[in-house]
Amino acid sequence: MHIHKPIVLVVEDEPLLRLFATDMIEDAGFEVIDVANSAAAIAVLEARSDVRIVFTDIDMPGGINGIRLGACIRDRWPPIEIIITSGKPWPVESPLPQRAVFFSKPYRQDRVIDTIRRMAA
Amino acid sequence: MARLVVLDTPEEQAFEDIVFIASQTCGAPIAMITLLDTDRQWFKARVGLDVTETPIDQSVCRIDIDDGDMLEIVDLSQDDRTKANPLVTGERALRYYAGAPLKLRSGDVVGRLCVIDTEPRPEGLSETQKTLLSALARQAGDHLELRRIARASDRLAELQTALVQIGEGIRASADVSTMTAEASAIVGRVLDVDRTAFGLVDADVRHVMIEQDWTAPGVASIAGRHRFEDYGAIRDHLASGDPLVIEDVETDTRTADNPAAMRDVGIEALVNMPVRQNGRTVAVLIVNAAKRRIWLPEELSFLRSVADRLEAGVSRVRSDQQQELLNGEISHRLKNMLSMVQAIASQTLRDITERGPVESFEQRLVALSAAHDVLVQKSWTDADLRTVAEAVIETVGFSDSVHLTGPSVTLGPRAALSFSLVMHELMTNACKYGALCREGGRVDVNWSIADDDKDQILTVRWREQGGPPVVAPTRRGFGSKLVRLGLVGTGGVDLRYEPTGFEADLRASVQHLAEA
Repeated sequence: MHIHKPIVLVVEDEPLLRLFATDMIEDAGFEVIDVANSAAAIAVLEARSDVRIVFTDIDMPGGINGIRLGACIRDRWPPIEIIITSGKPWPVESPLPQRAVFFSKPYRQDRVIDTIRRMAA
Repeated sequence: MARLVVLDTPEEQAFEDIVFIASQTCGAPIAMITLLDTDRQWFKARVGLDVTETPIDQSVCRIDIDDGDMLEIVDLSQDDRTKANPLVTGERALRYYAGAPLKLRSGDVVGRLCVIDTEPRPEGLSETQKTLLSALARQAGDHLELRRIARASDRLAELQTALVQIGEGIRASADVSTMTAEASAIVGRVLDVDRTAFGLVDADVRHVMIEQDWTAPGVASIAGRHRFEDYGAIRDHLASGDPLVIEDVETDTRTADNPAAMRDVGIEALVNMPVRQNGRTVAVLIVNAAKRRIWLPEELSFLRSVADRLEAGVSRVRSDQQQELLNGEISHRLKNMLSMVQAIASQTLRDITERGPVESFEQRLVALSAAHDVLVQKSWTDADLRTVAEAVIETVGFSDSVHLTGPSVTLGPRAALSFSLVMHELMTNACKYGALCREGGRVDVNWSIADDDKDQILTVRWREQGGPPVVAPTRRGFGSKLVRLGLVGTGGVDLRYEPTGFEADLRASVQHLAEA
């Protein structure tokens, strides 16, 4: 019998960090779709409805950064859970999207995984 | 000149006395101290006459005023200079006049002390009367001078107070608009003008950009971009760095061609004080008055100082902002680099089956990064011991079971990083083997500063209780070595495996910590 694993969408422009995040989340028993920017992330979300969690970086080249991506997801796909990560502190002037969690880079893998598991539960 | 002195000030006894004595001495029914202005003459003190001023073209006092001598006209109705004067031909029918000049110490003649009769006096004043009138005029001049000095020094004190206030405001402001708004308001009030603004000037000194101006109640704002050329021939002046001082836009050569341009925005008099940077005018402090006005030297030097202070303040804020941006960028890159190191290590060590060391590595990296975050908040200059400790505890967890007490202690960047690693090892050990691996266990961390012979010594005391029985480790791993390096990497560490719980004392010189 085939059991569907929850799907996590990883959005990270730096290939090495994308690979790292993908392996980390896959090793924890999730299915990962990985993309390099917000536009690609939105395309994925528009094409399929089975993404449970979006794990995104903030600083990405071209157009929409992770902060706006988070806001957009909360607006258009309210059930999706959001994890945002960045090497910069979270900008004080913007509120985190509802239910979203922020991790400063570098993050502890176990903390991130705990959060993903809690969100997927 | 007279305007600078005492024009429109209340009557004063000293001047009243002088005109009374003059009138008595010369046996004349009328005596006055007359101050000459451009469009009128004004009587500072008078006996025998019921007006306080007359138009300047009716003034007898102004005749030959520049000679600086006594003027005597024995019959005003016979003299060509005065026979058509309404004061002579009219109802007052003045006939005799003698006036001694009022001189300031600068040599400026500002008016006359005069005696007037309604009868001609062909024989004129006696020599004694003339001498006395001149002496009284000197007295009056001296009094005027003293009044001027007293008023100028009151004014200076007022301006000085305003300058101090402005300086404090500038130092306390973290952004340019608050700084300029506060300074403009103080300048506007102390100079009693209608509008003040601090405008940035473009590279070729053709336009000025006023973000926000201060205006007196009912005066319109001129916020926005303006072209100097539209207001008269003022651009070259500002470009060369000289203050533009205009007392009357109608008569000033730079604005006389089209005074309406200034008047349309309610300006009759103005000062534009340029701010220079590297030999270029970069900004201008603007002061506008809705009435003609003489700008006093002390007011101009006040404006010069305000402009300089604003410039220094604006530069400071700009460079702070740039520095902050740069620090943010460097910090961001450094943290991305740490993330890359984490990713490489994680990928490289993926197949290692013993996960303990791999996890330790990641956790140390994260602790170091947390200390870095604390340092970034103050541009890597220093960090507070408690803040660093809290950040590290946060990365490990268990913050409810760790109790911090102690005064504020400043750590330099290196001390902050090494303290974060020591703190992290103590925390992970407590989680693995010590008080934090049992429900109800706790750690107390307290620190204090004590005077040594020559130095102030910080002691950080780590006390565990409520954990399992303590056993000293048989092997010294990297973690234990890190702890033994101490607060600044040079030891000062005392570790005790007490039956009640593990204890550590960490000591270092306060000065050393701050400088490391």
